[in-house]
Amino acid sequence: MSSVHAPVSPTSLVGGPDETTFAARTVEAVKLYGSGSNVVHALDHVTVGFERGRLTAIMGPSGSGKSTLMHCVAGLDALTSGHAFIGDTDLTTLSEAELTRLRRDHIGFVFQSFNLVPTLTALENILLPARLAKRRPDQQVVDAVVDTVGLRSRLTHRPSELSGGQQQRVAVARALVGRPDIVFADEPTGNLDSRAGAEILTFMRTAVRDFGQTIVMVTHDPVAAATADTIVFLSDGRIVDRMDQPTIGRILEHLRSLGG
Amino acid sequence: MFKLSIATMFGHKRRLLSTVMSIVLGVAFLTGTYVFSDSLRQRFDDLFSSVYTNTDVVVRSSQQIDAGQGVSQRGRISDDLIAQVAAVPGVTAAAGSVSGYARILGHDGQPLGVDRGMPNFGMDISDSPLSVWSVRQGRIPTTSTEMALDAGSYDLGKFTLGQQVTVLSQQGSRTFTLVGVVGFGTADSPAGSRVALFDQTTAQDFVGQAGMVDSVQARGDGTVSQSELAARVAAVMPKGTETLTGKAMAADTSNEVKTSLGFFNTLLMVFAAVALFVGSFIIYNTFSIVVAQRRKENALLRALGASERQVESSLLGEAVVMGLLGSVLGLGAGLGMAVVLRAMLSAVGISLPAGGLVVLSRTVIAALAVGTLITVGSAVLPARRGAKVPPIAALRDVSVEQPSFSARRLASGLALLAVSVLLVAIGLTGQMLILGGGVALGFVSLFVLGPLLARPVARLLGAPLARFRGTSGELAQENAMRNPKRTARTAAALVVSVALVVAITVFASSTKASIRAIFAKQFTGDFVVSTQTFGFGGLPTSLAPQLSKLPGVGAATGIQLGLGNVDGSGTFMAVIDPATAAKVFDLDVLAGSIEALDTTGVMVSKKRADADHLVVGSPVTITFLDGSSHTLSVEGIYGKDELAGPYTIAKELYAQSGGDQYDFSVYITMAAGASAAQVEQELRTAVAPYATAKLQSRTGYIESQAKQIDMFVNLVYALLALAVIIAILGIANTLSLSVHERTRELGLLRAVGASRRQIRSMVRWESVITALLGAAQGVLVGILLGWAVVVALRDQGLTEFSLPVTTLVMSLILAVVCGVIAAAGPARRASRLDILTAISSE
Repeated sequence: MSSVHAPVSPTSLVGGPDETTFAARTVEAVKLYGSGSNVVHALDHVTVGFERGRLTAIMGPSGSGKSTLMHCVAGLDALTSGHAFIGDTDLTTLSEAELTRLRRDHIGFVFQSFNLVPTLTALENILLPARLAKRRPDQQVVDAVVDTVGLRSRLTHRPSELSGGQQQRVAVARALVGRPDIVFADEPTGNLDSRAGAEILTFMRTAVRDFGQTIVMVTHDPVAAATADTIVFLSDGRIVDRMDQPTIGRILEHLRSLGG
Repeated sequence: MFKLSIATMFGHKRRLLSTVMSIVLGVAFLTGTYVFSDSLRQRFDDLFSSVYTNTDVVVRSSQQIDAGQGVSQRGRISDDLIAQVAAVPGVTAAAGSVSGYARILGHDGQPLGVDRGMPNFGMDISDSPLSVWSVRQGRIPTTSTEMALDAGSYDLGKFTLGQQVTVLSQQGSRTFTLVGVVGFGTADSPAGSRVALFDQTTAQDFVGQAGMVDSVQARGDGTVSQSELAARVAAVMPKGTETLTGKAMAADTSNEVKTSLGFFNTLLMVFAAVALFVGSFIIYNTFSIVVAQRRKENALLRALGASERQVESSLLGEAVVMGLLGSVLGLGAGLGMAVVLRAMLSAVGISLPAGGLVVLSRTVIAALAVGTLITVGSAVLPARRGAKVPPIAALRDVSVEQPSFSARRLASGLALLAVSVLLVAIGLTGQMLILGGGVALGFVSLFVLGPLLARPVARLLGAPLARFRGTSGELAQENAMRNPKRTARTAAALVVSVALVVAITVFASSTKASIRAIFAKQFTGDFVVSTQTFGFGGLPTSLAPQLSKLPGVGAATGIQLGLGNVDGSGTFMAVIDPATAAKVFDLDVLAGSIEALDTTGVMVSKKRADADHLVVGSPVTITFLDGSSHTLSVEGIYGKDELAGPYTIAKELYAQSGGDQYDFSVYITMAAGASAAQVEQELRTAVAPYATAKLQSRTGYIESQAKQIDMFVNLVYALLALAVIIAILGIANTLSLSVHERTRELGLLRAVGASRRQIRSMVRWESVITALLGAAQGVLVGILLGWAVVVALRDQGLTEFSLPVTTLVMSLILAVVCGVIAAAGPARRASRLDILTAISSE
C-alpha cells in the first residue's frame, strides 16, 4: 500500500520550511478527560498538519478523538498539553477574547446540525460573522459564494422555511464568505440525504478549487471522505494513518483493515 | 410522577428561587400587615385596660361631631358634675379630666414632636386614684406655675426637673416650672403624643375652658358591678351626657386610636394585593415556559402511558410545593416586615406601646392559603396546556411556540377593551366603582391583546438598538419578537406596577396643579402665617388682630376650622372674621357679602345651596360641640368652595360653640405702597414669640400646600417599588429560561465569533426591550387611569389635569435600568456558556 504513509513524525512538522504549507497544525497535542483511573486520552500526543488550499478529511471510529482534534485546532476547546496553531498563532497562548476574535476573523465553521440562528434570514446568517466583527463584507465575495451555493432566491427566508439541505448550504456560505484561513466542517453531511449531501460536498470542493480555500472536515462517511485531497485516520486518540487522493474503495478497504 | 416533578424542580434551584420569590413578597406583605395590626390591637387593648384599670364609670358629653377624614371632637361637660358623681351611693372617688391642644417647646425654642404625627396635648393631673398617669420622677404639679411631662417628651427634650419649660396653647405661650415626670400606664407617652400636665384649674384655663372638663371618672367601692354603678350615675346625670363603664371606655379609646391607624392597614393590604397580582403573572409565565420546554419530556410520559390527568397533576403538584414554599418564606419575611413597619411608624413620630408580635392562627392560615392558591391558580392553565401534548411529540423534533396571529384573540381583546372604555366613560361621571371596574377590565384587555402588540411594539422599540447597537442589538430585537406571547406576559407584570406608579404620579401632579390654581385664584393676599396642625390646635385668635395693626399690613385675617352638625351629620366650617376676610380671599360671592355676615347668619357654597335648595334667607340649623343649636339664615352664597367648603360662619358665632378657638392660619395682605421686604421683616418680628407659627410668602405658602401631597405619594412609591422588584424578578426569570432554551443557538453564535461581551449585550438589550414594552404600556395605561381619577374627582376640587413629563420620562429610563438589572444574571450565564457543551447539547 504505497499510497498509505506512515504516521507523520513530529520533527518533520516543527520549524523548517514546512511551516508555511500548513494552515493549521498540532504539536504533541494531548487532551485528557476525567481524572485518576477514569482518565481518557481523547488525544494522545497528536502531531498533525493541515495543508493550505486542500480539503483534508479526518476519519476514525466513534470515540477515536476526531471531533476533539477538530475542536482543539479550531480553538473551541483547550488542550491539556501540547500546542495547536492556526497559521503562526499558537492557540494555547491566547485569551478567551483573542480566541473569539481568531474564530471570527480566521476560521469558518459548518456543524452537523443547528447551524443557523433561527431569528435571522439566510442572508443575515451568512453575513453574521462579518457583522459581529463590525466589518463590511466584500460584496463581490458574497455574490460569488451565494451563487456558488445557489441560494440567491432564498436569501430572505428564515431557517425554519428552508429544507435541511438548504440550511446546510447557508451554513457553508457563511463559513466561506469571510474568506477564512481555514474552514472546519463537523459531519457537514451527517444529517442530509445523499443528494443534498453530495451538493454540499461539491460546494466545498469548488471552494477549494476556485478560491484556494483550506477545509478540514470530520466525517465517518466514506463517500464524503473520498472527496478530500487527504484523509487522516485517527484511532484511540492517535493518528494511525494518512491517505492522499483517496477513493471510496481504498477508504472502505482501509477502514476494514483498521476495524479488523 | 410526583417524585419526578419534585426532583426536576429542585434540579433548577435558581429558577425555583426566583419563581418562589415572586410569591414571597406578596405573602410577606399580607402577613406583615396582619401581624402588625394584630400586635397593635393587642398592645392598645392592653394599654388602655391598664390605664382605665381603676375607673369603673366614665361620664362624658354625648355631643360628638365627626367631620370625617379622621377628625372628630366631643363636647365638654361642666365640672359641677364631679361633685354630683361623687355623691352617688357606691362611688368612692370621682375626678374630672381636661385635655386640649398644647405644644411643649424644647431647649431650641422649637416645638417638640412632629407636626403631622400624633396630636400634642395639655392635660390635667391629680393624685386621685383615678388618674391614668403614674409618677415616675418628682411630683405632680399643684400650682398654676408648675407642670409635669410625659416620660417620652422628658427624654426627647432632654429636660431636667426644676427647669423652666415653655408651652403654647390657644391662650398663647406660658412658662412653667417642671416638677414631675409621669408615665401613661406602662407606656412612656400615649402613642407618641407629647403631653404637658397641669393641675386641674390651670389645665382648664390654659388648654381647655374654665369650669369645664372633658369627662368625669368615678371609682366604685366594689359593692356593685361596673354596669350597676354606671346605671346609678346615669340616673342623676343631666341631658347631653352619656355614662359608660370603665371597660367600655377602655375599648372605645383603644378603638379610636386603632381607627386612626387604620388607613395604614388598608394601604398595606392594597399593596399586598398588587404584589400578589403581579406575582401571579410571573408564576403563570414561568410555568408556561417550563411546560413548553418540557413538552418532549411530558410527551414521553404520555407515550409511556401516563394519562393527561397524571401529567397535569404532576405539574400542579409542583405548583403546590412552590406555593407552600413561597408562603412559608413569605410568612417569615412578614414577621420581619411587621418589625420594619413598627420602626417606620416610630420614625414618623408614632411610638407604639412595647410588646411582642402577635401571630394569630388566622394569619398563618391566610398566608399559606393565599400564597398556595395563587401559585396553583396561576399554574392551572399552563399545566392543562402542558398535559394536552400528544404522545407523538416525543418522537418529533418539536419547535417552540410559533408566533401566530389569532383573530379570535384580537376580537375578544377588542371587545373587552370596548366594554372597558364604556365603563370608564360611565364611571367618569363620578361612579368610582364602575370606573375601577372599567380600568381593571382595561388591564385584562391589554393582557389579551398583549401578545399581538408585543411583536410590532418590540420591533419599534428595538429599531434604534438594531441601528446603533449593531448585531447584538439586532439579535436582541429579533429575540424579543420571536415569542411575542412570552414577551407580552413578561412585560405584563411591569405594566401593572408602572401603570400604578404613573397613575399616582399623574394624580399627585394634578392635585398640586389644582391646589396652585385654587390658591392663585382665591387667595389674593401676600403673606401667610400658618401652623402645621390641621383640625387640632393652631394659633391664638389674638394674633390676627395684632398683625393687622402693623404699619405695612393692609389686612390680616385668621381662619378657624369649625365643627358642627348640620342635619345630623358632622361637617367642617370655615370660621372667618367678616371684617377682613374679603380683603384677602376671593370666594366669588354670588349673593350677599362677606362683610355683612353676622352671628345670626351663615354663608353657603353654590353647590351646597343647589343641593339643599337654599336661597338667601333660608334657615340652616347648626349644632355645636356644646350641644347648642343655632338656626341661622343664609346671608350669602359663594361660587368657589375649594378653600371655604360648604359653610362659612363668623368668628363671633363660633366663639359661642364650646369648641376650642384657634386660627389654623392667618392670611395677610400688604398695605398699599408697602415694601414686601419691610413687611416681611415686621411680620417676622411679630410672630417670633409663636414657635409653631411659620411665616411664608404667598408663593412659598402655595408651594408648601401643593407639596403636602408628596409625603403620601412617596409612601405609595416606596410600596410600589416592591411591585417593580417583583416584575424585575419576572423578567430575570423569563430571560434565564430563554437563555437555557437557546443554549445551542448561543453556542453557535460564540463559535462563529460572537464575543462574550456581544452575547451579554444581546441578552441585556432583549431585557431592555421587554422592560420598555411593559413600561410603555404601563405609562399609557397609567396616564389614562390617572386622568380618569382626576376627571372623576373634579367635584372634589381636582380642577386641573397635569402630566408630569419629567417623571414619565424618568420612569421609562428607570425601565431601561430595570431591564439591565434583570438581565445581569442571565446575561452573565449566557456569556459563560461553554461553547462545546452548548453546540453538542441536544
